[in-house]
Amino acid sequence: MGEGPVASGSRRRIVTPGRSAIGGLVLALVLLPLVGGQYAQYVAIQVLILSLFALGFNILFGYTGLLSFGQAGFYAVGAYGCAKLLLLTPSLLFGVVGGTLLAGAAALVLGVLCIRHTRIYFSMLTLAFGMMIFSMALKWRDFTGGDDGLVGIPRAPLEIPGLVSISMASMGRYYYFVLAVSLVAIAIAYRLVHSPLGLTFQGIRDSEGRMAFTGVSVRTYRLIAFVIAGLYAGLAGALLPALENTVTPPVAHWTTSADPVLATLLGGIQAFAGPIVGAFLFFMIKDIIVRFTEYWLIWLGIIVVVLVMGFRGGVVSLATARWRALRPGREGA
Amino acid sequence: MKRCASVVGVFLLVVFVAFVAPGPALAACQLGVPVVKVGAQGAASGAHADYGRQINMGASMAVEEINAKGGILGCKVELKFMDEELKPATAVKNTRYLVTEWGAHYLVGVDSSGSSMAIGPVLPELKRPYFFTHAATHRLTEELVAEKGIKEIVRVSVPVYQDGILAALIFKDMPDIKRWANIGADYEYGYTSWNLFKETLKKYRPDVEFVAAAWAPFHTLDFSAHISAVMAAKPDAIFSTPWAGEAVMLLRQAQIQGVFDQIKLWWQAMGGSVDVLEGIAPAVIGDKFKGKLWATARYIHNWPDSAENKAFVERFQKRWSRLPNYSAETTYSAVMIGKAAIEKAKSLDSAKIVDALKGMQINTPAGLRVFRAEDHQFVYNVPAGRVVMDPKYPIPVLGELRVMPVKDYYRWPPFTPVAATK
Amino acid sequence: METLAFQGVVGLSMAMYLWLISAGLTIIFGVLGVINFAHGSLFMLGAYLAFTFYGLLGWNFWLAILLSLAGTAVVGWAMERFFLRYLYGVDEAYQLLLTFGFILILDDAVKMIWGGVFRIPDIPAFLEGHWSVFGRPFPVYNAFIIAAGIVVGIVLWLGFERTWWGRTVRATASDREMANAIGVNVPRVFSGVFMLGAMLAALGGALGTPVRVVSPGLGAAMIIQAFVITVIGGLGNLKGAFVGSLIVGVLSAYGTLLFPVFELALIYLIMAVVLLVRPQGLFAR
Repeated sequence: MGEGPVASGSRRRIVTPGRSAIGGLVLALVLLPLVGGQYAQYVAIQVLILSLFALGFNILFGYTGLLSFGQAGFYAVGAYGCAKLLLLTPSLLFGVVGGTLLAGAAALVLGVLCIRHTRIYFSMLTLAFGMMIFSMALKWRDFTGGDDGLVGIPRAPLEIPGLVSISMASMGRYYYFVLAVSLVAIAIAYRLVHSPLGLTFQGIRDSEGRMAFTGVSVRTYRLIAFVIAGLYAGLAGALLPALENTVTPPVAHWTTSADPVLATLLGGIQAFAGPIVGAFLFFMIKDIIVRFTEYWLIWLGIIVVVLVMGFRGGVVSLATARWRALRPGREGA
Repeated sequence: MKRCASVVGVFLLVVFVAFVAPGPALAACQLGVPVVKVGAQGAASGAHADYGRQINMGASMAVEEINAKGGILGCKVELKFMDEELKPATAVKNTRYLVTEWGAHYLVGVDSSGSSMAIGPVLPELKRPYFFTHAATHRLTEELVAEKGIKEIVRVSVPVYQDGILAALIFKDMPDIKRWANIGADYEYGYTSWNLFKETLKKYRPDVEFVAAAWAPFHTLDFSAHISAVMAAKPDAIFSTPWAGEAVMLLRQAQIQGVFDQIKLWWQAMGGSVDVLEGIAPAVIGDKFKGKLWATARYIHNWPDSAENKAFVERFQKRWSRLPNYSAETTYSAVMIGKAAIEKAKSLDSAKIVDALKGMQINTPAGLRVFRAEDHQFVYNVPAGRVVMDPKYPIPVLGELRVMPVKDYYRWPPFTPVAATK
Repeated sequence: METLAFQGVVGLSMAMYLWLISAGLTIIFGVLGVINFAHGSLFMLGAYLAFTFYGLLGWNFWLAILLSLAGTAVVGWAMERFFLRYLYGVDEAYQLLLTFGFILILDDAVKMIWGGVFRIPDIPAFLEGHWSVFGRPFPVYNAFIIAAGIVVGIVLWLGFERTWWGRTVRATASDREMANAIGVNVPRVFSGVFMLGAMLAALGGALGTPVRVVSPGLGAAMIIQAFVITVIGGLGNLKGAFVGSLIVGVLSAYGTLLFPVFELALIYLIMAVVLLVRPQGLFAR
C-alpha cells in the first residue's frame, strides 16, 4: 500500500489519508464559493488559518514531543507584522511574507532559549515568552495600538510588481488566496515530515538518547522544529489582518495558544491530517454551538475531557481505525 | 344606546379608513421580505455581563412593541442577540454571522469601544447600517465617519464627551477642588475621558493640578495598589473610569482604604449605570461615600421628567422587573430609530436607510435625539449628579442633577484631534 | 519613603491571595507531579460558593468559608479520583490538557449556575474600618488577609514537617513506589493532597468575597499568575511559592506606582529568566 504508515517502529504511528480523499476535499474547497455564501467563505478562511497554526504546532508537539503553550506569541508576531507592513505599503504578498518571516525570526531567537528545556519546563518557558509578547502587544501603545489594537488595515491587492495586481476586495478572492497559500504550506509540511528531517524529529521524540548516540545534535533539530512551528504560526497570523481589518492583543494571549493545542488534540496528534481535521471540528463546534446556546465552552470542555480520557489518538486515528476495520483486505502494515 | 353604538361604529370605521386602510392590508409586508431581522450584540459574560443583558432586554422590548403594533411597514420583526465577549475578533465574527448568514437588515449594540472600532471598517463590505448603543470612543464617529466616510456607522449613545467634558464643565465651578487624580480604565476609553477632562478643565481653571494617574486594565481584581498609588499624591478629588462590576469593586476597595475621609469628591463616570447603582446600594444607604460620589451615564432612568420616559421605565419594569440601564434605553431607541428610518426610506437598502436619517429628530425615552449628519452621532442630553437615595426607587439615583447644554459639552465638527494615549 | 513602604504593605495583602492559590498548585505538583491547569478555576469556585453562602444567603462569614472549602474539596476529589488518577502513567501533556478541559467546563458551569450576578456582600462587622499604617489608612480587612496567609503558611509548614501525615506525604512525594512498599496507601494520599490543594485555592477565592467581584474567566486569569509564582519559587517548593507570591504581589503594587508600562511584562520576564538560569527555582535547596 503506497500511502501506508511510515515510521513504523516508532511509538506513535503516523497515518496519512488516501489520495482520492485529498483530491475530493481540495475540489470541494475550490468549489465552495459557488455553493456557500460569504459567511461560509469567511468560516473556511478561519478554518484554514487555524489549520496552518495547528499544523505547525503539531510538528513541534506530535512529531518532536515538545508541548508549547506560547504559540500565540508567534501567531501575533505574524499578525502584527503583516498588519504593520500593510499599513505601510498596501501589498498583500509583502505583508504576508514579511509577517511570516518576522515570526520565524522571533521563533529563532526565542527558540534558542526555549529548547534548552523539555517537558513541563519547556511548556512553562514558552508560556512565559508568549505572555511577554502579549504584554508588549498590550502595553507598547505607540507601535501596537495598545488595547485597541491596529485598526483600518486594508485588504491590499495581491501585487507582484510588473506582473500582476489582483484586487482582494471581495471575500471570494481573498478566500482563494488563503486557500492557495494554505495548500502550498500544507504540501510543504507534508514533504517535510516525511523527509529524513521529519523522521529525525520523531526519533528525538521517541528516544532522545538513542538519537544523540547516533550523532544527531538533538538541540539543533529541536530548534529547527521550533522555527518551523513559529513560521507556520506566523503565516497563520499573517493571513488574519487582511481578513479582519483589525489586530488586537487577544491574538497573543495564552488562551489563543490553546486553540491549536485543542484542535490538534481533537484531530489527533499521530496523523499528519489530525490538526487540519481538528481545526475544522474545533471551529465548527464553536460556530454551531454558539447559535443554539451561549454555553459552548462546557461542550468543548467535555469533548476535551472525553478525548483525553478515552481517545488520545483523536478523531483521525479513530476514523482510520474504523476504515481499516471495515476493509481488512487493505490492511497496510 | 343603539345609536350611540352606531356612532362609535362609524367613528371606528373612519379611524380605520384614515389610519389603517390607506396602506395595504396589515398582514402584507411592504418590504418584500418574510421578516425584518435585527441583529444585536453586547457583553454577556464576565464582570460586564449586565450590559449585554440590558442591551438584549432593551432590544427585545422594542421588537415586541413594534410587532404588537403591526411591525415595520407590515413586516414582522425578529431579533437575534449574541455575546461579543468584549473581544473585537468575536464582535466582528458575530457581525459577519448576523449579516451574511442569519440575514440581519440592521444591527444594534456593542459595549466595547475596541469592538466598535473593529466592526466599523467591515460594515461597507457588509452593507448594513449599525446603530452603536454603548461603545464610547469618539473615534468611532469622529474618525471613521466624519474623516473616513464610513456611512453605515450610526451612534445612538453619547460618547466620551459625557465622561470627560461634562465632568469638567460641572467641576470647574467647585473652587476648592484643585488637585485631581485619575484611576483610569487602561484602554482608549479611559485615556480619552481623562484627556478631554484635563483639556476642558484647564481652559476654565488654570489653577487646577492633575497630580497622579493609575491605570487598570480590563479584568482587574484588586484596585488596592491603584488606589494607594494615587492617594499618595493627596488629591482633592478622583476621576475614575472603570465601569460595571469593576466600578463596584473599585468603590468598595476605595471605601475600606478610607479614601472618602480624605477626598472631597469622587467622579465615577459611568457610575449612574443601573448595575453599578444596584451594586453600591448598601454603601449608599449606609452613607459610606459620605455624599461625595458623583456620576453620570448615557441615560438615567429618572431623567427627563417626561411622560414618554416615565411610561418607558414603567413598561420596562413590568416586563423585566429591573430598572432600565442606559444600554437598554439606547438599544431600545436604536431599534426604534431603525424602524423610523426604514419607514421613511420604504426600503431595507443600507444607503437608503442611512439617507433617511438625515434631519431626523426623534422622541425617545432619553428625550429628543437629533441626528448630526457630519459624524452620524445622535445628539441628546444626559445630566450628571450626586449619587443619592430617593424614596421613590429601590436603588440609588442621581440627584442634584446638573444639566449642561449639548452645544457646550459635545464636541462639534470640524473635529480637532484628541490625544488618545496616556 | 512612607509612600513606598505603604505601597509595599498594600502589595503584601495582594500577595496573600496569590500565595493561597500557588500553595495548592505547588503541593499538588510536588506530590502528584501534576500541573493542575484548573487550579485557578477551583479558586473561582471557592469564591462563588462563599459568595453564595455569605453574600446571597447571608450566613455566617466563617461558616460560609468552611462550606466553600468543603464544596471545592469535593469537586477536587472528583477531579482526581475519576479523571486524573487514570493519567498518571501517560505523557504529562495530557494532564495539562485534561485540566485545561476542566477550566472550560467550570467556567461555563459557574455561568450557568450563577449567571452574571455580582453583588459584593458587606464586610463582616468585626473586620470593618481601617488602621493607620505609615500615616495612611490601611483596611483592617486587608490586614486580616495578610494574617490569614501567614497562618496558613505556618499550619502547612507544621503539618508537613511535624506530623505523621506530613511525613507520609513527603515520603510519597520523594518515592511513590517505596512509599507503597512500606504500606502507604498512595492513591489515598494523592486524593488527600489534591483535596488539600483545592481547599487552599478555595480559601483564596473565598476570602476575597467581600472586596472582589467574581466572574467566569477568573480561573484562567489567576492560573497564569500562579504559574509564574510556582516557577519563580521552584516547581513543588512550598517555601519558594511563599516568597514567589510576595515578589509578584509586591512587585505589581510597585509597578502600578512606579513603572506601570512594564508591570505586566516584568513578571513574565522574571519567570523566563528563572527558568533559563535556575530552573529548579530561586529557593531550591
